[in-house]
Amino acid sequence: MERDNHQEGVAEGVKICDPPAESNPPADTLATSLSLLGNHMFPDPVERNYGTTVNREEPVDSLLSDVSAEEPSLNAESHSNQVTKLETEETESPECQNNVATQPSDRGAQDAATDSDQGDSGEFVVTMLAKAKLEEQGLGMKGRSSPLLEAGTEEYPAFMSHRDEDVTADSWRQHRKHVFVLSEAGKPIYSRYGSEEALSSTMGVMMALVSFVQSGDNIIRSVYSEENTVVFLQKGPLVLVCVSSSRQSERQLRGELLYVYYQIISMLTQASISRIFEHKKNYDLRRLLAGSEKILDGLLNLVDSDPSFLLAAVHCLPLASSLRDSLSQILQKAITPNLVFSILIARNQLLTIVQEKTVIEDTRLEPADVHLLLNLIGASSAFQAGEIWTPICLPLFNPDCYFYAYISYLDPPECTVCLLLLSTDKEAFYSVAECKRKIEEAMVAQNSLSLIAKVQSYSVSQVGVSDLRHFMYKPFDVPDNYRQLTQFTSPEMEAPYSSEEEKMRLLDLYRYMHSRIHSTSRPLKLIYHVAERETLLAWVTSKFELYTCFSPLVTKACAITAITKLLRWIKKEEDRLFIRYPPKYSTTPNPSKSSRGGKSDQQDSTDNGFLSLL
Amino acid sequence: MPEVSKMKKPDVKVVLLGDMNVGKTSLLHRYTERKFKDTISTVGGAFFLKQWGPYNISIWDTAGREQFHGLGSMYCRGAAAVILTYDVTNWQSLAELEERFLSLTDTANHDCIYAVVGNKADLTDPNAQLYQDSNVAPEDQTECEEERPEPQVLSACPTPPASPASLSGSVLHKQVAPEDAVAFYGRILRYKGLDEKSSLPAEKMCFETSAKTGYNVDTLFEALFDLVLPSILRKRNENQESPTVDLEECRGASNKRARSSCC
Ligand SMILES: Nc1nc2c(ncn2[C@@H]2O[C@H](COP(=O)(O)OP(=O)(O)OP(=O)(O)O)[C@@H](O)[C@H]2O)c(=O)[nH]1
Ligand SMILES: [Mg+2]
Repeated sequence: MERDNHQEGVAEGVKICDPPAESNPPADTLATSLSLLGNHMFPDPVERNYGTTVNREEPVDSLLSDVSAEEPSLNAESHSNQVTKLETEETESPECQNNVATQPSDRGAQDAATDSDQGDSGEFVVTMLAKAKLEEQGLGMKGRSSPLLEAGTEEYPAFMSHRDEDVTADSWRQHRKHVFVLSEAGKPIYSRYGSEEALSSTMGVMMALVSFVQSGDNIIRSVYSEENTVVFLQKGPLVLVCVSSSRQSERQLRGELLYVYYQIISMLTQASISRIFEHKKNYDLRRLLAGSEKILDGLLNLVDSDPSFLLAAVHCLPLASSLRDSLSQILQKAITPNLVFSILIARNQLLTIVQEKTVIEDTRLEPADVHLLLNLIGASSAFQAGEIWTPICLPLFNPDCYFYAYISYLDPPECTVCLLLLSTDKEAFYSVAECKRKIEEAMVAQNSLSLIAKVQSYSVSQVGVSDLRHFMYKPFDVPDNYRQLTQFTSPEMEAPYSSEEEKMRLLDLYRYMHSRIHSTSRPLKLIYHVAERETLLAWVTSKFELYTCFSPLVTKACAITAITKLLRWIKKEEDRLFIRYPPKYSTTPNPSKSSRGGKSDQQDSTDNGFLSLL
Repeated sequence: MPEVSKMKKPDVKVVLLGDMNVGKTSLLHRYTERKFKDTISTVGGAFFLKQWGPYNISIWDTAGREQFHGLGSMYCRGAAAVILTYDVTNWQSLAELEERFLSLTDTANHDCIYAVVGNKADLTDPNAQLYQDSNVAPEDQTECEEERPEPQVLSACPTPPASPASLSGSVLHKQVAPEDAVAFYGRILRYKGLDEKSSLPAEKMCFETSAKTGYNVDTLFEALFDLVLPSILRKRNENQESPTVDLEECRGASNKRARSSCC
């Protein structure tokens, strides 16, 4: 069972079912949507230009208010009859779903008045499946706003978070990528923008879609419109939905949803989530996730801005191998029973990672788990003070168990170098904190901190290939990399990619290349792509995956020569660019105590105690 | 645990408990950094060492979220003082102390002292709002000045903040009166099976504070530290008698109790 879980990992995302050919959804997806939404939802091309008017049509409202009845707490008084209906919906959803599909118009009359401001955002979700936004100028990704830019816009005062956004506003609709998480009962759990409460009817609509398709023994995977791709991912009792205008492939978007799911698992464990919902189908999971929204927000911002997620590989800071080795040895010596991972991080990139021996024989640390850890640290400025001790689950390692993470910065007040120690023992704080003291002492003795402070990422100019502007290189075959963390290397993004906007544009181009090269219908080995302002070449072999960006007008032949040079340079530098020989230590005398152990999950998740609070 | 030795061993442990968002992290931050700044909801627990005269006081700032409920008794193990924090504008936060947090203190020392702290007093009490933290770091003073007119209630109350002249604090209704806290303190003593007469009086152990303005914050921490001194001295004596005793001392014994009592 263990391995099976992992197959679904982002790295092996291939398993995820074929996306329909772009802008040409397969008949069944379209058909189901059509029957559910009524033909109004897919207006003919002429209507499309007035997309926004479409959503005023009666059937839409009716569908919405129908679904919003699933949220009795919000509309309780006026909808008592429908609240009763809710009960039946849970148990006999196929029948009720038929209701939704076949009787839209007569409900319309009945419920037209119930369209509240919540309805408006729900309306959006429905209409965005079909509506065409007024044309943006230019082609492709040019006109799209980057999430980084959005974060800085003056639309909202700085102290107002995205959670306070007005979900009826156009600006809300125009976010490049929405992410929603809801429970099978249609209860909102998380929304990237806007509060979950305000979006409960929107989420109801989504759940209606999911369960309607389910009632026909199908699974809804995606809906395409001209502007947006809507991707659904169901994981256990959770449904995750992404509405994106980013032009990413369905598979990429689904991979991102999977990260969101994993981040939730990392906080609660899969076992307890299933148990909670077995116990109480319409449990409000926000009770347990309250306060974690910033961690999910941070993850989504990282997913948009850090290619590690796209490549499912970790980025380590380039470091002279002698320095890296000495840091590893420091970690290797500071151990205590049940310590399983020691990780040193600088500026959110790995310096080194040391693992417990028995653990490493058993499995390897997956990049996605490292990403979640890095995000947790990055999203929590609070970690900068004091020493943190917190339970955390590494979902790809074992989705049902907690580790206990010790997190502390080694260089206050700058707080750039962070130590992360993972133990399987909840009570081990003081002995793990003692490891930190040893590490601190050794680092002082070896002057490590000032050496680390000097470390920088590298510039593409060091490669010495003219016209090469940027690249991302992910090796598969490093001999020592076998069963090691998948890594990639990439230079700093420099001019002309120094503004946030341009960075995002380059990343979007990479995402496009990535989706082409990994297309399930027509996978490619090599793509030479002449874009408007640059030329890109992506190449996948059995040994590596490489994305390069050149100045425009570089010919294919030139690019290939340049790449040969680049590969030679990487080969020469690989000891510096990658963690090559990750050391191990042995702290667990009794391997069955490891978090991997089959039985320990029970104990662990009940130990964390919140089940008793249900 | 042979390794636990070299660490500058804390003499005594103080734990901050209370529902999420009541301002535990902000209180500690105000006390240690003399600042009020944006926080994020605490994950797990954060451990701080505070030098108090010749003594090392360890302070655990715990997460109030239910998600971390199970860890509470671990953070409380062997505590000499527990600060039970609520938000004066939120009745539920006091109720939660009784329902969810009090039982976590079962693992604390038998002579542990309890403080009941109503934070965010600046929102309801003009004195607390106009209070000036005399120890504010110079560069922070201005920041504070600017901040003052804007109450931190934006999510609860999206209306524009009142002008500095009219006290914005009066906008918020005070939900917990000092008497409620005193009554709760009495129930804590009863829960612990302590005699009211021989225990510290409620007037001494119930506080209203503002992490935002600094009102009563030093008073709170300093009063507590002074009160735990006997505990420190006793502990030092014990340590002289049996040098192997350390922070983990009562782990084995209290483990079972903690488990059974938290559910
Ligand atoms: N007005 C006012 N706001 C406060 C005060 N103390 C904290 N806050 C605000 O309350 C919110 C929560 O503060 P935190 O200190 O993070 O709360 P916490 O108790 O540590 O919460 P958890 O870590 O989730 O358990 C923040 O927005 C603070 O700015 C106060 O004294 N007055
Ligand atoms: Mg906190």
